[in-house]
Amino acid sequence: MAANLARLLECNIRCNNAAAVQSGWRLFSNQRQQQTEVEDDEEFRVLNLRTIKQQARRREIKKNAVQPPRTSRMPVDQDWTAVWSGPRSFHPASVPLPLRQGYTERGAAAPSKYANAELMKIPNFLHLTPPAIRQQCEAIKKFCTPWPKGLETEAKWKRPFPIEVITTDYCHSLPTIRHPEARRVTITLKLSDLKFDAHAKDKFLRLVGERYNQETGVLTFSADRCPMRKQNYDYAMYLLTACYHESFVTEPWEATKSEADMEVYQFERNQAKRSAEGILNWNATGEQKDAPSANYAKSVEALINEGENEYNIAKYKEEVLKMLKIAI
Amino acid sequence: MLQLLKTLRLRQPARFASALSNTAAATLPGTEATPPAIVGEPDKLYSKLEIELRGIDPAVLKSYTWFATTAAEHLGIELGKCWSPRKAHHERMTLLKSVHIYKKHRVQYEIRTHFRYMNFHKLTGSTLDTFLEYIERNLPEGVALQASKTELQQIPEHLRQPPEQV
Amino acid sequence: MNFLKKVPTQILPLAEAQLSLSNKSALHTSAVCCRVQSGRYRITVKRDRPLTYEMANPPHFIGHRKSWNSWNTSTLKDALRPSQTAIEDVFIRKFVTGTWHALVCSEIIIKRQHNTIRIAAIIRQAISPRKMYFLIGYTEELLSYWMQCPVTLEFQTVADKKDVVFKYI
Repeated sequence: MAANLARLLECNIRCNNAAAVQSGWRLFSNQRQQQTEVEDDEEFRVLNLRTIKQQARRREIKKNAVQPPRTSRMPVDQDWTAVWSGPRSFHPASVPLPLRQGYTERGAAAPSKYANAELMKIPNFLHLTPPAIRQQCEAIKKFCTPWPKGLETEAKWKRPFPIEVITTDYCHSLPTIRHPEARRVTITLKLSDLKFDAHAKDKFLRLVGERYNQETGVLTFSADRCPMRKQNYDYAMYLLTACYHESFVTEPWEATKSEADMEVYQFERNQAKRSAEGILNWNATGEQKDAPSANYAKSVEALINEGENEYNIAKYKEEVLKMLKIAI
Repeated sequence: MLQLLKTLRLRQPARFASALSNTAAATLPGTEATPPAIVGEPDKLYSKLEIELRGIDPAVLKSYTWFATTAAEHLGIELGKCWSPRKAHHERMTLLKSVHIYKKHRVQYEIRTHFRYMNFHKLTGSTLDTFLEYIERNLPEGVALQASKTELQQIPEHLRQPPEQV
Repeated sequence: MNFLKKVPTQILPLAEAQLSLSNKSALHTSAVCCRVQSGRYRITVKRDRPLTYEMANPPHFIGHRKSWNSWNTSTLKDALRPSQTAIEDVFIRKFVTGTWHALVCSEIIIKRQHNTIRIAAIIRQAISPRKMYFLIGYTEELLSYWMQCPVTLEFQTVADKKDVVFKYI
């Protein structure tokens, strides 16, 4: 820039000097005069009437040489997994495919892959080509173990492993790996996997309440009250254990269970039994007393628990006739 | 690839054999008891791995499902049902079109969430960890993954028999 | 008044009454606010306004003709941190356009995968590669410090601004 300016200045001065010489004036100093004379001898001067502006040459923008796209140098049988090894936005210079993407009016070709933002936006699976998946799976296969023999079907694994623990993992694109829902733990098992007596079973079902599904017979304990998954798992197991052990405890107040608290009709505890005994032992003396037969008890229970249907009533009638020894 | 291998959790494949001999051999007459080679923590058993994918672009979810099922085939994992609901979940917001007034002119914005489900069955603990880590690492952007695992467990000692004294 | 001729005479007064009523109160005029202009560009007289593919398609084509500029899971159902993610995206866009001043030719695409952020854009080849490498490092370093997670820039360069132009309106 500085050199340019100096040249311009000099040029201007030269013009002035020429004018001065022509008109016979002397300008500035002798030195300058001599200099111009020397220059005059050397080159032919061009009359320059234009001002500085036109003379200012445009600075040329130096463009850096851009490499041609890498795809032009790729061999056909290259290892693609080495070219595109991980997840990365699409780059046209490294993908040797004639891709086009974009909507155009009818007849026009879609925009090409160069400078196409649509191709950069969409997540690509170029690092997960079938050979890459096979290669990676072969590498990690040594960490896998086969499913044990003897546990092929659900019926087979249900016997040794009756408890199912369901946990959930979350994978998000967030700076944090925590997810509040991941603390939830659900434990399921069949009621038939636990051993009970009659009283304990009744009490256990009352204790677990809603957690027991009557139709499928499955117990479900789910816990989400603690912040950590481990704590929730421990809590769910604690609930199961506590309910199970508590159901074997017979509290003194349980003896006061009245007829209104019974969940099912029981022949043993009811007026029907006493009436039947009264009829059977009519005028009987001594210690030996007749009790109503077990079949009779069953039919009465079925009649009241299951409701009055044709079968139950017919059965009841049959039993009553048998008990009272009435022949039709 | 090397990075993936480095970060994968190392588990001894032989560990499960010992666990099986401890647990299953006692109950299953058909199982041949293998001598316990390495004493360690028994491996876990998972009967089911259910993966739920959520994303804004169904095509991406489809490609990812193809990747995951192919990886499961290579690793020898039993593949269950893979399906997606036909309709996306639409979350709509209706706002006034103008800033302040004109109640009759509304504009509606919606966010669609597409779902896709995959099921895998019968995985051991080490297989599940390996497989899940592999497919989670290759999760594309804009896709959320939710993996529910069903672990199989034995009945603990204190629940096998009714308590003696209460 | 040709259309009134066919109407029986009994109905006429009623119709007139309705007409007058509508003139008074029930007439509804649409206001200025029914205009939709966000994300749309006006046609110029000379038809020389350059549009990229992204600009040529209005917002209701997102998911059909064009794709999203931010890829994250925060917008999905039951996802966490939707507002924080949106604010961060705005910040990243401002920072990148400011740092790469007058160089960004396209929208800035922000992809979040696990905890990493990948930023893609199309850049003009107007500065020397040395400066470009410096700016890449600078942007990655500062953004990863602010976002507290790894940030990767994946730029594509074009020789001229006209390369990204889809059409002129």
